[in-house]
Amino acid sequence: MAVQPYSRTIEGVRTTRSGRLRVRRHVVQRYVVAYLFILPVLLLYLIFVLRPTVQTFWLAFYKWNGVSIDREWVGLANFQRLLGDPIFWQALQHSLIWTAVVVAFNLVVGLIAAALLAGSIRGRLVFQLGYFLPVVQASVVTAMIWRWIYAPTGVLNTGLKTLGLGFLTRGWLGDFAVVLPALATASGWMTFGLSVVILLAGMQSIDPTLYDAARVDGAGYTRMFLDITIPSLRNTITIVILLALVDAFKVFDIIWATTQGGPIRATEVLSTYLFKEGFQQNQYGYGSAIAVALALIILVSSILNLTIRERGDD
Amino acid sequence: MTDSFSSATSMQFTGTRRPRAWWLVYVPLIVLLVFAVAPLLLAWFTAFKTDQQQLTNPYGLPLPPTLDNLREAWTVGRFSIYFKNSLIISIADVIGMVIISSLAGYAFARLSFPGQKLLLYGLLIGLTIPVAAIIIPLYLTMRDFHLLDTYGSVIVADVALAAPIFVFIMRAFFKDLPRELDDAARVDGANEFQIFWQVMLPLAKPGLMTVALLEFLWSWNDLLLPLVFLVTNDLRTLPVGMLFFQGQFTIDYGLMSAGVLILSLPVTILFLVFQRDFVKGLASGALKG
Repeated sequence: MAVQPYSRTIEGVRTTRSGRLRVRRHVVQRYVVAYLFILPVLLLYLIFVLRPTVQTFWLAFYKWNGVSIDREWVGLANFQRLLGDPIFWQALQHSLIWTAVVVAFNLVVGLIAAALLAGSIRGRLVFQLGYFLPVVQASVVTAMIWRWIYAPTGVLNTGLKTLGLGFLTRGWLGDFAVVLPALATASGWMTFGLSVVILLAGMQSIDPTLYDAARVDGAGYTRMFLDITIPSLRNTITIVILLALVDAFKVFDIIWATTQGGPIRATEVLSTYLFKEGFQQNQYGYGSAIAVALALIILVSSILNLTIRERGDD
Repeated sequence: MTDSFSSATSMQFTGTRRPRAWWLVYVPLIVLLVFAVAPLLLAWFTAFKTDQQQLTNPYGLPLPPTLDNLREAWTVGRFSIYFKNSLIISIADVIGMVIISSLAGYAFARLSFPGQKLLLYGLLIGLTIPVAAIIIPLYLTMRDFHLLDTYGSVIVADVALAAPIFVFIMRAFFKDLPRELDDAARVDGANEFQIFWQVMLPLAKPGLMTVALLEFLWSWNDLLLPLVFLVTNDLRTLPVGMLFFQGQFTIDYGLMSAGVLILSLPVTILFLVFQRDFVKGLASGALKG
């Protein structure tokens, strides 16, 4: 790259006829140093993130068992099969239900908790720490604990019986009708603490004079919450929703550690389905086609997320 | 009615202005606290109960506590091996990530070079790629590198996949340091690496702390990568070991909760010690792919 006279490529180094070569070498040297700084990240990223991403799309055009030397090019056949595959649509539907439950849980519980904590509360730190404790736990831990809670003789059924609600008891993880929302609730338990923190930070940045003005006008707490807090938090709420959404579409651990997609396929989601197709059925091509669908859904959600976040930063 | 609250604390839905409604605030908060913490406490307590105590006193304190479950999980249940594997992988992850993310974060924040913007946006895309979506070719890549069934496979993949978010975190930290610092060092004749190592890095310690804590948390808790890459039982990490353990000892709640305790205690302690770093870091790193 030629260094223009008077250009300020690097801190206004002025290039003259006689000095040009020296300066250029100096500049190139600095570029090399900068590239050396980013080289490790770049290499790892290229080999273990970008290349596999491209490969996922590419493998989706093949039929391959992962072992044999020949891969059979099948064009769009995997995607055609995907569109006609009832299990795929079922898994997609389950992902949507899961997402809805987790998002609703995070939003409702998060908003209520944040609104209550935003006031002058004794022991706010204790509440915040307690709510956040599940966030740092492994999803395998969450899975184990909630398996016990939902077990036929577990905490939930015992509690229901004690309350005289024995007719509601069931084997929660064996019941088609409830297993998906039941596990999604476990996921909500594990994630809502983060939503509380994000929403609380949002609430604390609302201009307090808005509330003063509303109070002068005689508005009650509910009025103020609906007319000031919620509208002011529009961006924050969108972020919480999109975070929970992206997270929910990626879910694998909790389901794999409890039901592995069962009973039958009642909790099959995209990630468990592609795991089974890829690593248990050795259908690498078809598994990759499912992965492409998953990647596209998350890509769109993430782009939305980033756009809104950028806008919110202005 | 006179408002006795300053405007800074006037954002009250708390009812503190109306003392009769205090329970409207604290009851939901406490119910939620029990909902959040009780399941964990229940599992931790069960780890210290004998089979007899589990039957007679399922929800109370483990009195007197027994260490039999922990001892058995540690030895017969092989949790000592799983623990060691998790520790090796997580520590290697942390060291690797701290080094490479601070180097790259520094370059993106304070050096200028052709293609800087492009590369940064390239990394940004990495934030959106879910692991599950690339796990099949990632497995094949590890196979081609002959890394399958080694710690290396999990370490390399963990670091590569989480690198983008940590580069962004470190970049933000380095960007906030005053410009005069490196100019002064440059005048003194320091080279770029000396500036980075002796001047900038010590000032970016809070950032490094965030990177180390979050990377430890994520790699300690991760299931998918070690599940796919590690086949030998002696290489399994705690979450994977727990999963297989569950298959064998489903009925033995004492042993299972001992496993849960071993898996969750280290991160819980780290969290209680470094609460603020965790909360801030996770709130800012919530974008991770």
